Amino acid sequence: MSVEQPVLETHDLAKRYGRRTWALTGIDLAIPQGGITALVGPNAAGKSTLIKTWVGFERPTRGSVTVGGIDPWNDRSGVLGLVGYVPQSPSLYDGLSVEDHLDLAVLLRPDFDRAYARQRLDQLGIPANQGAKSLSGGQQAQVALALALGTRARILLLDEPLASLDPLARREFLHVLTDAVRSDGATALLSSHIVTDVEQACDRLVVLGVGRILLHDTVADALASHWMATDGATSAEGTAIGSFGGPSGERLTLVRTESRAAGPALRPATLEEVVLGYLASGRALPGEAAA
Amino acid sequence: MSRIGSWLILSFRLHRWEVLASAAGVAILAAAMLWFAWQLRTLAATDPSCLDPAGYAPGCTQLGQRFYELSSKAEWLSYLSWLAPFAMGLVLGVPLVSREVEHRTAAIAWTMSRSRTWWLVGRAAFLVVVMVVLLTVVAVVGEALASATMPAQHLDRDFTWYGRRGALIVVRGLASLAIGVLVGAWLGRVLQALLVAVFASVLIFSAISLGMDRWIEGDAVVQKFDADRAGGRQLGERILLPKGELIDYGELQRRGLAYEVIQDDLLWARPEDIGHMDRLIGYDRYLVVPGSRYPQIVLRESAVVGGAGFLLALAAILVVKRRRVG
Repeated sequence: MSVEQPVLETHDLAKRYGRRTWALTGIDLAIPQGGITALVGPNAAGKSTLIKTWVGFERPTRGSVTVGGIDPWNDRSGVLGLVGYVPQSPSLYDGLSVEDHLDLAVLLRPDFDRAYARQRLDQLGIPANQGAKSLSGGQQAQVALALALGTRARILLLDEPLASLDPLARREFLHVLTDAVRSDGATALLSSHIVTDVEQACDRLVVLGVGRILLHDTVADALASHWMATDGATSAEGTAIGSFGGPSGERLTLVRTESRAAGPALRPATLEEVVLGYLASGRALPGEAAA
Repeated sequence: MSRIGSWLILSFRLHRWEVLASAAGVAILAAAMLWFAWQLRTLAATDPSCLDPAGYAPGCTQLGQRFYELSSKAEWLSYLSWLAPFAMGLVLGVPLVSREVEHRTAAIAWTMSRSRTWWLVGRAAFLVVVMVVLLTVVAVVGEALASATMPAQHLDRDFTWYGRRGALIVVRGLASLAIGVLVGAWLGRVLQALLVAVFASVLIFSAISLGMDRWIEGDAVVQKFDADRAGGRQLGERILLPKGELIDYGELQRRGLAYEVIQDDLLWARPEDIGHMDRLIGYDRYLVVPGSRYPQIVLRESAVVGGAGFLLALAAILVVKRRRVG
């Protein structure tokens, strides 16, 4: 696989549940190899559905999905050989210890790197003989991450693993993830709705509105090209993306402009404001029905 | 540790409560059955002449009475050995997939394992081993108890306690396991799946039983009302019409040949018809599969139940392969 070729792709992906509920509509996305991409969006935006289509858990209603060029629905085992997955809630086996989980992983996947996973857990001081049920939420998430990392997969798909963790546990989790991804040269997609956390760890950002992509850019470019205007002030050179209420009740508008001299009325946007601006723009658009 | 050792230990830990409950149930049942078998054999050894099927010898009343009481209780236990494979199959089979889905551990298991088929085969294989071991105990002890209860009968050629002893117990258990796994995989909720699986089992095994009764009619012989049917499997009463046609009572009524009087094994419509052979409706007969056919019938039903179980297991694999994680 060449460096330029995306490892995770979708073309016109749509997913419908039941007869009427569209979780995703017309998603075109290409995640390049390497680094961590944050998939950010509100609840019910379709983040989990998108990740589950890549893992082969969900069948697209329309369009195509590939992982390393492989269609996960038609060749699930081929894709699972490339992917390590951390589900939304760690959901470990209550009756098994941490050690048992590693043994089970070896049993299910003979090439599972048990020593590597065990080393990761030892570094975090998670006792191997402890029952999974008695671990804290943060420790359970770390075990789930260690299981995914032990696969030595080139692609890691993490479905909101931070959602139920306290700030310290989130930071530790992201530290382990970034360390592993950088040292292994893997590609990770991390879905979350906590923007401040992913800002430190992620290289790329995908903002998913309700079923549609609102922004896909590197974190650095997203920060460099977005500005905030307060109470109606805009730049003639920029494009207003979306407005939302600020902490003091003022009206904030996200403006996109490539110009560095954006003018005194504008200030650089934080990543959270970039996300909020796009989510506000997504809300303003009329709902799009997929064919 | 070897892969097999690791597989056994982890599989046990994942199913420990169901396995322990099943093993405890079998241990209690087998112990009770063995106790009754021992009691009955001890009684029988006291004076074998007292158990002559032709009738108790003089002075045997007390021993015969005691033997009869114990035999009656032993027969109740035999119904538990009939129930054991169904209960065990569902208790072990239903949670296999449904609990994984309900507790969301399927997300980890089905991404760790590259093939859901092999994941399911690996997990189910352990339960198959457990069931074969435990139900073989029930089957063998059931034979021992039957033999102690009916010391004068050749039970290898006898339909008495059919399905409550012998190989059929093991095969029925494995088919129940397949039903449990299939329903559990389909519904993904343990409690709901257990209730539906009980209902599905009743339907499936009733259908098999009815189908088998039809099938083995070809092996049955027509016997007179007062003929010795010991060891045979009675399929029901039939009417042998004077022209030689054999029909059941439903067909008799459909043809308007309602009878009121049976004299010996002869059916007459009215008391005044008795003796008038031209008014004879037919002869009351029994359709009986002789005890000598017991091994073939057990083998045949085992093949049918085993085949059904195999198809249900394949269906379970298909459901698991296409199932959403939850």
